[in-house]
Amino acid sequence: MSIEYTKKSARLTAFVSVEEAEGLLEWLQANPRGKVDLAACSHLHAANLQVLMAAKPNIAAWPEDADLALWLRRALEPSIISLLEK
Amino acid sequence: MSPLLEQFIAEGRDFLQGIGEKLMALEVAPDSVELMTELFRLVHTLKGNSGLFEFPEMTRVLHAGEDLMDSVRDGRVAYSEELADCLLDAMDFVGLLLDEIETTGATDASHAEQSNDLAQLLRALIPAQEDVAEAPTTAATASPESAAPPDLARIPEESRLAAWHLAAAGHTLFWIAYRPDEECFFKGDDPFHQARQVPGLIWGEAVARAPWPPLVELDCYRCLTDFYLLVAAERADVDEYFRYLPEQVAIRPVAPLALVIPEGLPNGGPVYGDFVSEALVLLDADDLAGLVAAAQSLLELSSAQLWLASDLRWLLAVLETSPERRDVLHLLIEALNTLSLPDWSAIAPPVDAGEPEPALAPVPEMPALDAEDRIRLDAILAAQGDILRLPDAVDWLPGRLMAVAATLAACLTNQGEAAEDVAEVYEALAAALAERSARPLRDWLAAFREGAVPAPPADDLAPLAASADDDAKLPASAVLVAAAIVPIPVPIPVPVPVPVPVPVPVVVAGRRALDDPASGSEPKFGRRAEDAQVAKVLKVDQAKVDQLMNLIGEMVVAKNSLPYLASRAENQFEVPELGREIKAQYAVINRIAEEMQDAIMQVRMTPVSFVFQRFPRLVRDISRKLGKEVELVLEGEDTEADKNIIEALADPLVHIVRNSLDHGLELPEQRLAAGKSRLGRLLIRAAQESDRVLIEIVDDGRGIDPAVIKRKAYEKGVIDEATLDRIGDQEAINLVFGAGFSTVEAVSDLSGRGVGMDVVRSAIDKVGGTVTLTSTTGKGTTLRLSLPLSMAVSNVMIIESDRQIFGVPMDMVVETVRLPRADIHTIKRQKTIVLRGRIVPLVALNDLLGVAAAPTANADDELAALVVRVGGEQVGLLVDDFREVVDVILKPLPGELARLTRYAGTALLGDGTVLMVLNPKELFR
Repeated sequence: MSIEYTKKSARLTAFVSVEEAEGLLEWLQANPRGKVDLAACSHLHAANLQVLMAAKPNIAAWPEDADLALWLRRALEPSIISLLEK
Repeated sequence: MSPLLEQFIAEGRDFLQGIGEKLMALEVAPDSVELMTELFRLVHTLKGNSGLFEFPEMTRVLHAGEDLMDSVRDGRVAYSEELADCLLDAMDFVGLLLDEIETTGATDASHAEQSNDLAQLLRALIPAQEDVAEAPTTAATASPESAAPPDLARIPEESRLAAWHLAAAGHTLFWIAYRPDEECFFKGDDPFHQARQVPGLIWGEAVARAPWPPLVELDCYRCLTDFYLLVAAERADVDEYFRYLPEQVAIRPVAPLALVIPEGLPNGGPVYGDFVSEALVLLDADDLAGLVAAAQSLLELSSAQLWLASDLRWLLAVLETSPERRDVLHLLIEALNTLSLPDWSAIAPPVDAGEPEPALAPVPEMPALDAEDRIRLDAILAAQGDILRLPDAVDWLPGRLMAVAATLAACLTNQGEAAEDVAEVYEALAAALAERSARPLRDWLAAFREGAVPAPPADDLAPLAASADDDAKLPASAVLVAAAIVPIPVPIPVPVPVPVPVPVPVVVAGRRALDDPASGSEPKFGRRAEDAQVAKVLKVDQAKVDQLMNLIGEMVVAKNSLPYLASRAENQFEVPELGREIKAQYAVINRIAEEMQDAIMQVRMTPVSFVFQRFPRLVRDISRKLGKEVELVLEGEDTEADKNIIEALADPLVHIVRNSLDHGLELPEQRLAAGKSRLGRLLIRAAQESDRVLIEIVDDGRGIDPAVIKRKAYEKGVIDEATLDRIGDQEAINLVFGAGFSTVEAVSDLSGRGVGMDVVRSAIDKVGGTVTLTSTTGKGTTLRLSLPLSMAVSNVMIIESDRQIFGVPMDMVVETVRLPRADIHTIKRQKTIVLRGRIVPLVALNDLLGVAAAPTANADDELAALVVRVGGEQVGLLVDDFREVVDVILKPLPGELARLTRYAGTALLGDGTVLMVLNPKELFR
């Protein structure tokens, strides 16, 4: 398992495979205020990315992997631009 | 060759075998969903695995096969023999490619055509309704093409500048809209990975295809994310990268000029009029250095977030990379006057950039705020003031400041404030971020509210106005009001025209080292769950097992020297206690060594199914070719024997089965005429009998007619006339094992070349097996093969002759007898003896080996005779003495010595003696 769930947070580590997406989705459904810690994540399967994009959870930590962090910030962060656009 | 590739080849063969088996099974039970699913899974997995490597020819065929199987599985196509033939052909092709990969490490591109043909054949079997089913996909795939032209403005300026420089350095830029198939997750794709790893990636973004549904309705395994990528790469590389999903991407070249989109806060236009005129003069005077200097100094003086700064950065970039583009420079400079996007279409060929920067559209007139909105707005501003008064010493201060700035900017814009004010907010934000303090923003807010908050109508706005005068003493009630009001969505007209350079560290947005794509930090990817399984079966190179085998052989030899040591201790050194202890230790080591040997033998044990599994396909193909109907029955497939034995069995068995099908079984009509069922029956049965494996091949065909055999043999001169009259039916039948014997006139490609049964017999002989053939005319033929379980350890009897010792394989030995010299009679110069009513010829081993010595008799004048069975006959071998029976590891004679066929090989005895093991069959030849 490359996702560790606790009561308040989900910690994604290393490569998060496609099988994890369902669990992540369920957890986010059950814990809408749960925080997602991506620090140790090196890549996540697009299915997981979708779940995060759809759920827009609180991100406790962005990935240490700079490239991934940029991708995820662009996809997940409610940037000032997008706020303004809305 | 990488271990992964090796594994792929090994597994690939297994898969092909499995696919063949399943197809055979489906022939019997064409409706079996289970089989179909399994078959699909095999094809699917093989395809998936092949995708790991660069074997597009293989993948293409497998993909077509997979699609076909998919439609069969869904019941859109019925299973048919034609379909099976097609798939089998395809699998043969894949097998061919596998062979090629194994020898050369790659597939030859020359197979591409064949691969295409096969794939088309397979796809042709998928009915047209498939198209209907695929319609949504087609629609989806069409959409990236027809999608709106690339929205280059969404790319941050840093990335666009980087792309501009790369383009100037000779790279081609492409905009890729990648719309993964909705079902792609089920195919093992990871579009996100695909997008991240695209060659030459400069910038990329994942975008939801449509607004996300509520979480409860989200299907996380349906890919609804699109990816937009800007890359600098060769078109060929990009095509190659997406060659497995070309229908999911739209790749458009991007003219570098299309990237030149200055953006930022439209501020201070007329102020820089001087610069524009000066720059134009410099440009006309061809003083580029002066222009660079002027632009740089102005850039230093300007806030980085301003539109004009962005324009200047582009100006400098163009000056740096392509100063000859005067027209471009001209437009960029003039754009400073209007603060609007230069009209590139005037100078450049129509670029794909599409729409002009929407962010630069003129600010629409804001409707004047009514009183209610003003209250809300003021409350928002007050709340921001509160936030800014919170302690600064927190990690998230930058985020807080940015949030406040964003709010303020939004408020100002909606309030219809001048763009200058908005720019001031960002300047204050930049200052605040720089000093890590909220003060600059707070000061600006205070100043703004001081000046900008219009005098409220005295009555209903009094409390708020009061609070506005002095933020610090905001009454609690006002704070509450503010807090309550803040979440109310302020009606915001769209589109909002103020583009804001994001002051978060997005500066290197997705920029990857172009020159070093394999920069080591690549994450490791598992693929699917089934790959992660821990293998319970080890695939071990046979050489390793053989080495173990050799080592245990040496161990046995070393162990066998202990009894000698024990007897030396007792007799030579006269320490009987030590001798006994050595013997006790020997017993222990002996037991362990034997168990070890046994265990290693078990490792080498292979079930006969290894050979049998090819027969369903073989029988099917041959019988269809011959127009015969054959039911194949396999029994005892799990019977095991040493791998070498099983492997040696493969070719002879194929010969035998072919013979049975070709000569033995009749055509359906002939069978009916003979009163048999149309369906011929071929039984292949394996069983273990003590230390031997018995394999029977039984057919219920026409059998072998001894009369025909005799006549043929006589015609070919194999037997003479006398023999022709004398030999019995069984002997006649055995003539088919003679070299060059064939009963069929016409040589078919199946059998009848006269190299059949003699090859079978010699192959079986080689591994110490025997073949017997029985047949009843009109009823059928039975071939019986008897093989040793293992060749590794041989049970050998040691005999002595002329003071030398020799070994004779125990499976040849019938008995050992002491013969009184008086009982030996000479018939036709051949010494013979009557043993239990049978006449047994006697041959001296010394004569056979060319040793000039007579067999010695014992004290009672008895000769020692070892009765061995050779080719169904018993022969007495006269030797000097018998010794013990030992287990030895028989090693074949090496090199040139291997031609001494009278010896089966050598073995090392416990005392270090080399034992020559005889091969009685050759001895008597």
